[in-house]
Amino acid sequence: MTTLHAARSTGSRSGRPPHGSPGGPAAWLRDLAMGARFAVTGGREGWFRTALSAIGVGIGVAVLLLACSAPTVLDAWHGREKARENLGQMHEPRASDRTVRYAQADTTFHGEPVRGRLVRPDGAHPPVPPGIAHLPGPGEMVVSPALRALLAAPDSAPLRARLDYKVVGTIGDSGLLGPQELTFVAWLDDRSAGEAYRISRFGKIFDPQPPSARLVLLTVLACVVLLMPVVVFIGTAVRFGGDRREARLAALRLVGADIPTTRRIAAGEAVVGAALGLAAGLLIFLAGRQAVGAVTLWGVNVFPADVVPSPGLAALVAVLVPAASVLVTLFAQRAVTAEPLGVVRNRPVRRRRLGWRLALPLTGLALLLSSAWAPQAPDGWFPVVRLALGAALLLLGVTALLPWLVEAVVARLRGGPVAWQLTVRRLQLDSGAAHRAVSGITVAVAGALALHMVFTTYQAGYAQAYEESASRPVIQLSGSTASWGQARDALTTLRRTSGVTWAHGTVRAPAGREGDRGTRDADGYRSVQTAMVTVGDCAELRRKARIGSCRDGDVFVAKDRGGRATDPAFVRPGVRLNLNPPEGYEETGPPRPWTVPDTARRVQTVRHPGEDLPGDVLATPGALPTGRLQAPTTELLVGYDKARESDAVERIRTVAFRVNPGLRELSAVDNPHDRQYDGLRTALFLGSVIVLLLIGAGLIVSTVEQLRERRRLLSVLDAFGTRRATMGWSLLWQTAIPVALGLALAVTAGLGLGAVLLTLSGAEVHLDGAVIAGVAGSAGGVVLLVTLLSLPPLWRMMRPDGLRTE
Amino acid sequence: MTPDGSILAGEGLHKTYGRTTALDGADFSVHPGEVVAVMGPSGSGKSTLLHCLAGIVRPDSGSVRYDGRELTTLPDAERSALRRTDFGFVFQFGQLVPELTCLENVALPLRLNGTKRKIAEATAREWLARLEADDIHGKRPGEISGGQGQRVAVARALAGRPRVLFADEPTGALDSLNGERVLTLLTDAARDTSAAVVLVTHEPRVAAYSDREITVRDGRVRESLAGL
Repeated sequence: MTTLHAARSTGSRSGRPPHGSPGGPAAWLRDLAMGARFAVTGGREGWFRTALSAIGVGIGVAVLLLACSAPTVLDAWHGREKARENLGQMHEPRASDRTVRYAQADTTFHGEPVRGRLVRPDGAHPPVPPGIAHLPGPGEMVVSPALRALLAAPDSAPLRARLDYKVVGTIGDSGLLGPQELTFVAWLDDRSAGEAYRISRFGKIFDPQPPSARLVLLTVLACVVLLMPVVVFIGTAVRFGGDRREARLAALRLVGADIPTTRRIAAGEAVVGAALGLAAGLLIFLAGRQAVGAVTLWGVNVFPADVVPSPGLAALVAVLVPAASVLVTLFAQRAVTAEPLGVVRNRPVRRRRLGWRLALPLTGLALLLSSAWAPQAPDGWFPVVRLALGAALLLLGVTALLPWLVEAVVARLRGGPVAWQLTVRRLQLDSGAAHRAVSGITVAVAGALALHMVFTTYQAGYAQAYEESASRPVIQLSGSTASWGQARDALTTLRRTSGVTWAHGTVRAPAGREGDRGTRDADGYRSVQTAMVTVGDCAELRRKARIGSCRDGDVFVAKDRGGRATDPAFVRPGVRLNLNPPEGYEETGPPRPWTVPDTARRVQTVRHPGEDLPGDVLATPGALPTGRLQAPTTELLVGYDKARESDAVERIRTVAFRVNPGLRELSAVDNPHDRQYDGLRTALFLGSVIVLLLIGAGLIVSTVEQLRERRRLLSVLDAFGTRRATMGWSLLWQTAIPVALGLALAVTAGLGLGAVLLTLSGAEVHLDGAVIAGVAGSAGGVVLLVTLLSLPPLWRMMRPDGLRTE
Repeated sequence: MTPDGSILAGEGLHKTYGRTTALDGADFSVHPGEVVAVMGPSGSGKSTLLHCLAGIVRPDSGSVRYDGRELTTLPDAERSALRRTDFGFVFQFGQLVPELTCLENVALPLRLNGTKRKIAEATAREWLARLEADDIHGKRPGEISGGQGQRVAVARALAGRPRVLFADEPTGALDSLNGERVLTLLTDAARDTSAAVVLVTHEPRVAAYSDREITVRDGRVRESLAGL
């Protein structure tokens, strides 16, 4: 009150009339300061409300800061990858003291990808990737801390057998993408010599591929879906304790504060809540950031230190959150006027209009559907903005539709017991507080369901693909080979492996037409028409074609195209082929002519599902020594039976790695996506539940405040014998009706949004009833929790104390 | 039965709130059809006496007997049931449920007692007509005047045909004209139904509507003078 008097005196001294609003920046600051003081001097309950607002805003701010960190996280991630990698140079450097031969040796252990790199220096001063002091010597490797831990685990024996190198060091953080990354750098021995290429430095990688349409869709959607509830929730959180604030403002009006002054005081109070929220958000962000290292999403695991909000975006959050808090508070006061004798609700009695409320989601839907005509891979900002705006408008539309829906539905509710009647009538009179509290739930649930649906569908797609793959228990391996003999030896070793039922393989290489020099494109890449030459013994060739009788030294020519799109028509008995076709940027050296014998028989090829094409020329090793081929590769197919050996897959991988660490596994045996999507869905579900609980906390605060406002009425109701159960049920309905309507809207909007997005990305729509039931169950739980926690205050308010006037 | 044929009697009632003594051995009785005005200055304990008599508050000591039953030992559920079936209440303000219409407010005690909605509302309509408030039955409390609100409250208190009507400053928030009209309607209706009325007031002109006056001072009851 002193402040108000002081403000008045200031006005008088400056020559203003003694009545009316004191003005000037000083008075404004005083009013704001008074509001700020109210935020922290309301006793235990005041602190509780302020703390709840701060926590609510803080969680929102923490999520916003995390989102603001996305650009820096991605930059850091790509920077780390670029610094340690070299995928090959267009012109391979000559061997020197400062070059190293380099190959990839990635493997998988129980579904976890392990990044492997093999190195063999050409001299004494080879380039060294970041995080490694010295390159490992023969038989040695350096490992990431996570791989070191995995190797030490009791059930990692197959991995220890596979990575049979002596661990001589640990890769430092600068050489890792994230703390959980499984990676090693080992000595390149002769087994993988064919895979290797020479490099003169690390830190060269082709620019990352533009993200796929699906990834863009998911990322944009995730941002919108995660941030929209945050925005709505911040709006809800700053209004916690609004009724009490209005009562306080009315008391201030009684002692002479005018309406602009009360608004400034309210703004001051809101700013403090928002400022505390910012501080809480920063703390939550810093604490939560430490957990980032333990999370792997889509194979991306990052260091907590890399999660730094982009300064510009963080500054925007720091400015916008308090500004939004003030705006929301002032906007909320639009519908009420704090008068000296109390708060007057000047909300018009007229019904809410549906038109503009429907326009929001429909515009969003139109924007999303218009994306269907956009190219699949969004290029430039416009499609992304359109997608984000569409999803945001659709979700915002849900909050706009909710008040109309609640009003329209409760207006039609009739009958029922007293508890029901009390609730329905209350909602019919004023449903504002109810739908405001629930709108946060609605957006959060709608967004979460849409994301769930997208994840479920993608997961189902992967699951189906892997299921098909798993129905044929075969591992396909591919890699360079020195000769057919080496491939044959690999097959022999694999066939002896426990759990392996069969193994087949051939050696393959391209061949051009003799004399064909092809053409160079603008980039200097020379392309020629090639045919595929397949070399294997008679048993292996029989799998590829109906060759009939066969002896070493025989050659066969495919009479069909084996499913190929191009027709190497030049392949026929008697034709001269060039086994060193001049393909690529570099000159490949002199031609290696080889004549397809005139005696070669034309045969019908056999194509096995999931396997490579049989080839155009099928030759036995006696007819075509593989040493003459250019960059021959081996394709190995290994059948296994888990009933015989449960760990057959890991055994095969270990044997394959030991044959040639550079062998790549092409088949999809493990489904890593299941775990990734399961993790995502769990995180999303937990996020939804946390948002629900927070909104539940807000509901409790507003319910208790409403009860306090009606304290006398409750005492009167108790006086004439109203059962506590009746009032308890009324309280339950009061929370349950808006939540149920909000959920119905959320489920409709969420599934609609999910279906539209999936249709846009060309995926088949899958519904996960358990998730819908889970979210609905959680919301039901929140309703029960709010009711249960509001009952003790209700019982207290129903005491006759409320009847006492003296 | 209670002493002297009274329907409700309190003897030696003691009640304290913290260090404040609200009742200090108060005695009270009311007969069927009798209107008793409970007078006294602010803070004298008259409202507490009403609350103890109505079974809203349990006294610290003393007894309250209603129709032969000891109220102070009845469990809360039974006292609540009694208030639903046998007692009616009118307070000074803030007693109508703001979201319910006037008709629904009047029907509320009947419905709480298990009466079907249509029957409850038909009865409520009759009582509203009797209290000259039938034109506002569809309005909500926020849309009517204070005098109309009190008539609705009286109608609600009487709709269940209580045997005892407790009125705590029923005209405290009304102007004299409206106050007198409400009191006339209240006492007439009560007498018509033979309901005993406990009328708490600090205004002598209100007490003038009673058959008997008592004064509460420092938590004790003193007989005053006969009313009408």
